[in-house]
Amino acid sequence: MSKAYYEFFCPVKIVAGNAALEHIPHELRTLAATRPMIITDKGVRGAGLIDHVLNAFAESGMDIIEIYDDVPPDSSTQVVKDIAKIYRDQHCDSIIAVGGGSVIDTSKGVNILVSENSTDLSEFSGVGVLTKPLKPFFVVPTTAGTGSEVTLVAVISDLEQGVKLPFTSYFLLPNAAILDPRMTLTLPPHITAMTAMDAMTHAIESITGLASNPISDAYAMSAIKKVSENLIAVLDKPDNADARLELAQASTMAGIAFSNSMVGLVHSLGHSLGALCHLPHGLCMNLFLPYVLEYNLESRGDVIGELLLPLAGADVYAATPAAKRPAKTIETLCDIRDELYLRCKLPRRLSETGKVSRDQLARIAEMALDDGSIIMNPMEVDLSDAMAVLEKAW
Amino acid sequence: MNQHRLINEGVTPLASLNLGSLKKPYVALMMEVIGRALEASSQVDERIQKEVARLPAGFVFDMRALPSGPCFVMQKVGESNLKYLGSESELPSDTSLKFKHLTHAFLVLSFQEGTAQAFANDRLLVDGEIAHAMKLVRCLNRMESLILPKLIAQRALKRYPDITLGQKLSTGGRIYKQLVKNLVKGKNNV
Repeated sequence: MSKAYYEFFCPVKIVAGNAALEHIPHELRTLAATRPMIITDKGVRGAGLIDHVLNAFAESGMDIIEIYDDVPPDSSTQVVKDIAKIYRDQHCDSIIAVGGGSVIDTSKGVNILVSENSTDLSEFSGVGVLTKPLKPFFVVPTTAGTGSEVTLVAVISDLEQGVKLPFTSYFLLPNAAILDPRMTLTLPPHITAMTAMDAMTHAIESITGLASNPISDAYAMSAIKKVSENLIAVLDKPDNADARLELAQASTMAGIAFSNSMVGLVHSLGHSLGALCHLPHGLCMNLFLPYVLEYNLESRGDVIGELLLPLAGADVYAATPAAKRPAKTIETLCDIRDELYLRCKLPRRLSETGKVSRDQLARIAEMALDDGSIIMNPMEVDLSDAMAVLEKAW
Repeated sequence: MNQHRLINEGVTPLASLNLGSLKKPYVALMMEVIGRALEASSQVDERIQKEVARLPAGFVFDMRALPSGPCFVMQKVGESNLKYLGSESELPSDTSLKFKHLTHAFLVLSFQEGTAQAFANDRLLVDGEIAHAMKLVRCLNRMESLILPKLIAQRALKRYPDITLGQKLSTGGRIYKQLVKNLVKGKNNV
């Protein structure tokens, strides 16, 4: 699993576990911040999750200065600009993002504008454009899957220009990620399942990809174990706070892994399917994962075989001859997907989604070839290869 | 009494040779060769033409070693051809493939490290739209598979394509012929 050269970087402080939210005021003070603004969405606020954060600030000697709770699912530069204005008007000095991918990306955009004292986000689009640290920025994830709390990228739509602006900079990494089991306790079963399979895919693709390295492999292997041991436990008992925390940690660990080792063909196909058919990202990951592993067996069979240990446990691993472990790994993943289908109807095949038509497969394959993640896939992929995987996933 | 001999005993990898001042001219030469070969390939090979056709009209790209070269610059001309603009151009690039260091460019251009592995090793940066960069990488891969001997191309590519020796000699030969034609034409135009 090692290679001649790699880079690894993750400066995000992880604040995880029981009463983690109550650590936020202290963590803010250590960064000389005392006037935080919360950025969230209506769903998170409606579920009462912001109350947990507000309660955590009670008797802390620090107040939340402003709450913006109207981040849309697909955020835009205009939303970012509006929030930045409120931040400035209220003389805030730090940001707490409470939510999923859109809230976190929006907050990263707001942090750019308020730190750079600008109103034009497009000036900062691209790789490495930011050159100095931004305002104190904390992330409280409310799903366990994206890993956005430990990634250095953000994508925000410029609706006027009709483009998606990408931002990549080490300065976009939050100062801290707060993992508190209270924040994911009420996540519905099918979202829990989808997001957990997203984390599982991040971990597996980071290990099987061309950019895998020993440090991110360690995070990824641990993430796989946590998902496989706790996902069904959470679906059995949604208020199992310990198992919820394990999933949240798995998501963060998988996020650390893939932000250093990147992802592969599951994501190339998933990004294209999601864009074309408007399916949730985690579901797309669930649809393609075993078929892409089958495709990659030729070059990564040994590594895929080793995934059996965190996926199925020591007994199954020991009882399976080494030569059969790669196939057993894929079989185990298929078993997990079958279980998720039984419990929350999470589709396993494209045909089961009811939202994809067979004549869209060629377009999905074509788009996947232009996705940046495809270059990190261990096997070369051309149009016919991508089509073959899609046909298998149909 | 250790009678085992290391398999690579006596073999000095290119990367560890103290090539010093030779690295830069070698990379500069290879960049020109690649640029010109890519131009010729886009005039001969249908697959490369198909990729180029999907780039925006007038699209300009470059490949360079940071901080100050060597470099080659190319532009899309017509429907599906690429034109070699030289080692620099006044036209701003839409997409730039940047090696972080001359040595990293040397590793790839001496076929010790494939293009995909160079990306994976954080040696090669993309400045511009990723989708366009992916098309360019496929063009480079296709060209390498056609003009390089199989043994060398296998080092540069993740998978050597399923082409017969006959196809390779025929298309590769046409690319080399076109390259020479372009060079002569270029000289006559000077």
